[in-house]
Amino acid sequence: MAQAPNKTTLTSWLFTGPALTLLAFFMVYPILSSLWMSLQVGKGMNFSFGGFANMWRLTQDAVFQHALLNTLTLLVVQVPIMIALAMLLAVALNDPTLKGRAIIRTAIFLPCITSLVAYSVLFKSMFAVDGVVNRFLEALHIMDQPIPWLTDTFWAKILIILAITWRWTGYNMIFFLAALQNIDPSIYEAARIDGIPSWARFTKITLPALKPVILFTTVTSTIGTLQLFDEVNTITLGGPANATLTLSLYIYQLSFKFMPSFGYAATVSYVIVVLVMILSFLQFLFARERRRT
Amino acid sequence: MSGLKLRNLRKSYSALEVIKGVSLDIEPKEFVVFVGPSGCGKSTLLRMIAGLEEISAGDLEIGGQRMNDVDPSKRGIAMVFQSYALYPHMSVRENMGFALRFAGVPKAEITKQVDDAARTLELGALMERRPGELSGGQRQRVAIGRAIVRHPEVFLFDEPLSNLDAELRVHMRIELARLHKSLAATVIYVTHDQVEAMTLADKIVVMRDGLISQVGSPLDVYDSPDNVFVAGFIGSPKINFIKGVVQSVSKTAVTVSLPGYGDAKIGFVAKASQLKAGENVTVGLRPQHFGATGKLKFKLNVELVEHLGGESFVYAGNGNGDLITVATQTGRGLKTGQKFEACIDPTKALLFDAAGLRVR
Amino acid sequence: MTLRYVQRGFVYALLSIAAFISVFPFFWLMVGATNTSSDILRGKASAGGALFANFSKLIQQVDLPILFWNSSKIAVIATALTLVVASLSGYAFEIFRSKLSDRIFAGLLAMLSIPFAALMIPLFVIMAKLHLINTHTALIIPTIASIFMIFYFRQATKSFPTELRDAARVDGLNEWQIFFYIYVPVMRSTYAAATIIIFMANWNNYLWPLIVLQTNETKTLTLAVASLLSAYVPDYGVVMVATTLATLPTLFIFFVLQKQFVQGLLGSLK
Repeated sequence: MAQAPNKTTLTSWLFTGPALTLLAFFMVYPILSSLWMSLQVGKGMNFSFGGFANMWRLTQDAVFQHALLNTLTLLVVQVPIMIALAMLLAVALNDPTLKGRAIIRTAIFLPCITSLVAYSVLFKSMFAVDGVVNRFLEALHIMDQPIPWLTDTFWAKILIILAITWRWTGYNMIFFLAALQNIDPSIYEAARIDGIPSWARFTKITLPALKPVILFTTVTSTIGTLQLFDEVNTITLGGPANATLTLSLYIYQLSFKFMPSFGYAATVSYVIVVLVMILSFLQFLFARERRRT
Repeated sequence: MSGLKLRNLRKSYSALEVIKGVSLDIEPKEFVVFVGPSGCGKSTLLRMIAGLEEISAGDLEIGGQRMNDVDPSKRGIAMVFQSYALYPHMSVRENMGFALRFAGVPKAEITKQVDDAARTLELGALMERRPGELSGGQRQRVAIGRAIVRHPEVFLFDEPLSNLDAELRVHMRIELARLHKSLAATVIYVTHDQVEAMTLADKIVVMRDGLISQVGSPLDVYDSPDNVFVAGFIGSPKINFIKGVVQSVSKTAVTVSLPGYGDAKIGFVAKASQLKAGENVTVGLRPQHFGATGKLKFKLNVELVEHLGGESFVYAGNGNGDLITVATQTGRGLKTGQKFEACIDPTKALLFDAAGLRVR
Repeated sequence: MTLRYVQRGFVYALLSIAAFISVFPFFWLMVGATNTSSDILRGKASAGGALFANFSKLIQQVDLPILFWNSSKIAVIATALTLVVASLSGYAFEIFRSKLSDRIFAGLLAMLSIPFAALMIPLFVIMAKLHLINTHTALIIPTIASIFMIFYFRQATKSFPTELRDAARVDGLNEWQIFFYIYVPVMRSTYAAATIIIFMANWNNYLWPLIVLQTNETKTLTLAVASLLSAYVPDYGVVMVATTLATLPTLFIFFVLQKQFVQGLLGSLK
């Protein structure tokens, strides 16, 4: 080969060099380091090699199992509700004859610009026992007793689900809207001329076209929910009685509250990695299966 | 102005070879057109000359110097792209002077050069506009202007007219021909449009599958194609190919019969042909060569007539499944189903052997 | 026909409720800033007269100018560096593709699924070893090479016309000149969208700053709001004023550049 490709190759590595160097130090090294750490036992800065001791500890740790169960519960309940809601709103908004479309779209999208801390402030105050939400529900005669949002183990979970759904539905909706706008309108016109009823137009034309977006939003939302930290740390602090303790929050507590237990915290964090990998894999598999049938 | 020498040029992407050994001489001031169907490698070859694609093997000389590994900007070439590739964030003036700026030409000199080119192309009123504010034809002229400003030895055009509408394309074609004369530069022009090739070229290079199929003047290529591919590619409407069988072979002639048309016979002058009696051959008859007179006569039924106003294209057959296309000036009265006799002078017929090569 | 009207009505009702729920907390935030903490917790949803009192309490408790300065400084520097580093590599991953670079890129995408929780301890240890705890440098460096932004720029580069690159090469520009003179100005709107996304992410960042910034002089506005909230008995009037102040810049940017923001998010999906 001539000289030119070598020169181009060199230039290309200079372009990617800064990013790859930074990632090596602040991404690859921490990943390897935490893998190594997960094999260490001990408190504070006193480590000793423990082999799989930390993994054994996982099976004995009731708090961890509680946190895992909480995280999975949030995942199973919240992600499907949010994705369905985002899709429903996008389909409703996709009608070009709708009045005030742009304003409604902006309004629904607005929550995703707030900082996680800011919306924690909002939800904590709105959902106080005598707060505006309970007052509203009482005024509508839905409830005669105020709901203990922040102090009841069941309602605290609901509150977290409401908060995440509020923050991220509009964000996911934008992706659905974009995909809907990419569908050639003449397909719907052809379907109408062919006499296809509207529900079948939705299931046979709209849904298949949305499948890549459903996959994308589900995978990103799953990753987000598995890593859930900010809202539970500021709205409920994991309480009451660890009812909203998530894996990320537990890792944070293991590392930076009490007596730090870095090795064990690293082990717990790899539980999240494994979960993300399994769930992403299952979702891709599911998407491929459906495509085949 | 420089000529070019291409010696056994090859280009491959890992296992896939797309240019399979191309050798060609281009004279100074010549207007050369690379033509061929999409995927034939004509654009790749142009980009290899420009230096935008690596040359995998072979030698490229421009103006007597080997240019294989020389930077595109130092090859003495300028290029006009299919999409024009104007920098959208710069005015017309900046676009045209951009290369000179990077060649270290003083500002006053750039202004002068750009203004000269603008005058040639009548771009004066558009100099401060952005490409987005120009029509397709205007963008095209700016792209040419950007090339002219550099005073290149060789102009490279990559399908420059394919994004224009039909009327503008004819107009720009004439303008390009005029420009070539006034600049007296070497031009290499890539197109898939055989009309552009025929009208613009001094020399046509017909390409197929990464190889040169034939090189020659437009009329040479039209009158005397080397093979079935070139005969079929050049000329519109497409040449008629009729299956034939060799009847007899002598030292200077071959006689062919056409089984589909009542075993009609045609004699060809062919010195030292390798053909043997009984072999399958193909006879090519151009639609334009049919007329009211001619020794060879086909008795046909009209299946379809296309009236273009000045002339008509008649598609007619004798029931054997094939249709013969005839271009005629006197076909206005013809209707589907009518009987029709197509006559042709047998000396106009072209003979190709079973491998598709011309028998002369 | 009546069925159509019923359908229409249902769609409008659904969208109105969704829009109301989405916007109400913002209204609540603005109103809350003017009310006392007890009014807020009593669910008073109308403007009160405590705005000034809340604000003066806030500036007694926190050093507002320092917080604003810290947050802005971090967000601006991190955004500028991320734009340069991520766009250079995103561009290169698309333009100079090779088997090796494609594999590295696939590796980066796989790392995107690793939660920050798994990295924060080693990152904290690195920063401690470099004596960078309680510095803004520690906050900024790990965020610069954002894999998401590299991915975003690589996707966006797919729409950069290759003929422009060819034209620039024929015009005599080297790869760096092509990037800075052609790519950057041509991709202005991509950069605008990226700017907003990165700026907001940095301005709103919480977990990592919480870990590395422990002194009051280095804290960001977001951290200050969180610590006001985590007091044993938080004064919601004060928290609401602080939150309003922390939200206004992003709200402003969002309304000014709404179109690019949405397009930017979509750019990552193509």
